[in-house]
Amino acid sequence: MKKLKLTDIAKGGDSQLIDIDVDELVPLPPPYDKAEEFPGFKQLTEDQRERLVCNLDGVVSYAALPKPKNKAEEKKYVKQFISGLKKLLSKENNWTFLQPLLLSLDYCAQCQTCCDACPIYLGSGKNDLYRPTYRPEIFRRLVNKYIKPGGKLRAKLTGADIDLNWTTITRLYELSYRCNLCRRCTQACPMGVDNGLITRELRKLFSQELGWAPKELHEKGTMLQLDVGSATGLRPNVAIDNLKFLDEEFTESTGINVSTPWDKKGADILLIHSAGDIISFPESPIAFTILCNAAGLSWTLSSEIPGYDGINYGVFYDDVQLARVATRHAQIAKKLGVKKIVMGECGHQNKALMTVADRMLTRELNIPRENVMTFLENLVFSGKVKFDPTKNDFPVTLHDPCNLVRNMGVVEPQRRILRYLCPEFREMTPHGIENYCCGGGGGLSVMSDVNFTDWKVNVAGRMKFKQVLEAFADHPGPEIEKYLCAPCLNCKLQFRDVFEYYGAKEKSNLIFGGMGELIVNAMAIMKKPFLSWEEE
Amino acid sequence: MSGIVWHILAFGVIGIFLAVTVYRTVAIARLPVHLRWELAPIPHEKGKGKYGGSYLEEYEWWTKTRQRSRIAPLVYMVVEIFLLRGIWKRNRPLWPLTFAFHAGIYLVTAMLLFSLVSSILIITEAPPYVINVFQEIASVLAVAGYLMGGLGAIALLFKRALDSNLRPFNTTTKYFNLVLLGAVFISGAYAWFNLGDFAAEMSLFIRGLITLDTGLTIAFSLSLHIIISLLFLLYLPWTDMIHFVAKYFTYHEVRWNDAPQDEKMKRELRGLLAQPVSWSAAHVGADGKKNWVDLTKKKTKDEEA
Repeated sequence: MKKLKLTDIAKGGDSQLIDIDVDELVPLPPPYDKAEEFPGFKQLTEDQRERLVCNLDGVVSYAALPKPKNKAEEKKYVKQFISGLKKLLSKENNWTFLQPLLLSLDYCAQCQTCCDACPIYLGSGKNDLYRPTYRPEIFRRLVNKYIKPGGKLRAKLTGADIDLNWTTITRLYELSYRCNLCRRCTQACPMGVDNGLITRELRKLFSQELGWAPKELHEKGTMLQLDVGSATGLRPNVAIDNLKFLDEEFTESTGINVSTPWDKKGADILLIHSAGDIISFPESPIAFTILCNAAGLSWTLSSEIPGYDGINYGVFYDDVQLARVATRHAQIAKKLGVKKIVMGECGHQNKALMTVADRMLTRELNIPRENVMTFLENLVFSGKVKFDPTKNDFPVTLHDPCNLVRNMGVVEPQRRILRYLCPEFREMTPHGIENYCCGGGGGLSVMSDVNFTDWKVNVAGRMKFKQVLEAFADHPGPEIEKYLCAPCLNCKLQFRDVFEYYGAKEKSNLIFGGMGELIVNAMAIMKKPFLSWEEE
Repeated sequence: MSGIVWHILAFGVIGIFLAVTVYRTVAIARLPVHLRWELAPIPHEKGKGKYGGSYLEEYEWWTKTRQRSRIAPLVYMVVEIFLLRGIWKRNRPLWPLTFAFHAGIYLVTAMLLFSLVSSILIITEAPPYVINVFQEIASVLAVAGYLMGGLGAIALLFKRALDSNLRPFNTTTKYFNLVLLGAVFISGAYAWFNLGDFAAEMSLFIRGLITLDTGLTIAFSLSLHIIISLLFLLYLPWTDMIHFVAKYFTYHEVRWNDAPQDEKMKRELRGLLAQPVSWSAAHVGADGKKNWVDLTKKKTKDEEA
């Protein structure tokens, strides 16, 4: 494997910095151990190489990254980057994360202790490019050189000199989307340095200063969500129609009256699902409808833009967008007069509204907000709904969404539910706050431009997939039905890609889904299983 | 060297060290409140900190009194600082090296405290056996600290230079820091072995400083050690080696800062949200005048129509 120096980031112009060799990736257990049986990476065509910026690892996550036509244009981007660096370090433009950023920039001891905590670095077979320290150290040296007084001279004298040019900038942009922001590296750092945060700040610089961000997160993410209501493109009336249709369909299939309330003023609870669940995993919102109605809760969904889509991709790349989406959600709750907001099964959604945006929601917008796992736990143990755990008598393991668990400390509620409702529940290793990210964290799960999905399923999601398979090592084959409980939309999207790529359903009879579905499956009232291993 | 020069050097360096360290500490402390960015485990979460849980696990947490442990974060930090828990857990091969190095620093610091007490005892004419006890302890701390620290510094230097994991990230500053601190330890060890009674000499030197004794004289080996140590002390607060200060903030103010808004924070937040924004990307819509609150009022397409 090619050894990389920090200064390599600025060298080589348009040429690719490294090649990814699938044989060097961490091996998967049988029957997934033969790399040649899987499609592998889609190689970029000559035409793509000509048109696109692809100077990092042969993977392109953002086809629209502009290619400068001449040196003057290159210089313009370099100037913009430096201007962005200055703003990142200013109180006015970045009070939101200034203290954590400065601490992380100034006090890294370069002990590399964090490296072995990073699932991407491990999954890649310890490729230097994916070290959690590689990108932050380059960023740190650029700040020291271009922003601090006497930086250029000091950089030369201390051997920390990295050129800032078009190549550096574009590689850094692409490299900022080779991180899940899972903060496992941060947890491992004895100094408290946060490489995940530095990566996010880098993404912020690109988005807030240069206007560069993956289209799935920005143009078709937060922008679309704020414009029409949802990053899926669902408009309010279509969202209502979709759920009405689902209500009817599930009423018919379950024999239970499924009816989702909309825009009920004065309801106790505003439930905000991710609209992606309505489209891709409709069992999830329906499971919540069944459960909330069975428990006799006073609750509602909102059809106001963007009250029916709880995602907030701003948390991955842009503070302004983060604030806009979170403010909207809180305003909608205020208007409805609810007592609390409960977010659906989506890790970043819970983190964005409950903690990260907490200090943006001042005065009347600071409405109580509850995480989904605690909400479900209370419902399950309230005694209002009867359960028959034998209905869930199949092997179940739990994926811990990083945002909900490591970043919010919501660890036990979901486990108490599973220990009660799933007789064959088993933990992965490691789990809880030391879990591995699914590989789709940091917004990566929704990104699929050019050949990015290949990287997600082969590299980013590798350690998690390995871990899931090992959790079911006692039943590796397809003879036993197995369930991976992943209470997060983004994680489910990542698992969908990974399972499809490796053929996990066919080879291991392994399916994934949320927590709500598993709970409904165990409801005594259910005549037929809510979960199905049959292909739809 | 004349006694007055020692006074100027020692008090001058200590003064600069304290002033710069306090300045940098206050500068970090005065940075604005930031968005929440906590990270489990948070030890002050009573009953939950051990497994990484937080008060957010509680049903309707805002209706309940937060259960906070004052002892657990203290215990956590003591183990982290003195036993280097993080390195032990995550980077075992590095631990003996860095533990020796840090233990050297702690032992030498403790030796200085014992020497200070012993010199005060000399000034106050305490019974000689009491002074002896303190000097004996200081002597043991000194030799243990210098040897451990010196070995740690040399081992870390080799590790930095030879380990392919660390080498790409080295700068001359990293090497220089280790060499300088290594020189402090090695010169200290040299003085300890060279002098008949290192601790007594050290106490007398400190006594001379405290009493402003202009006739202060010390042996060459101790002079060398003190000069190198003062140089290090002068250099320290300008570098990232003051992570002993930064670590308080990275843990208490970032990782473990899970505080919901209170009145004081609300006032500060109102001021921060009222600041003008000048990010240049078109979607931000900033013009250097609009503030954070203005920018969040982006209209939907339907509202614009």
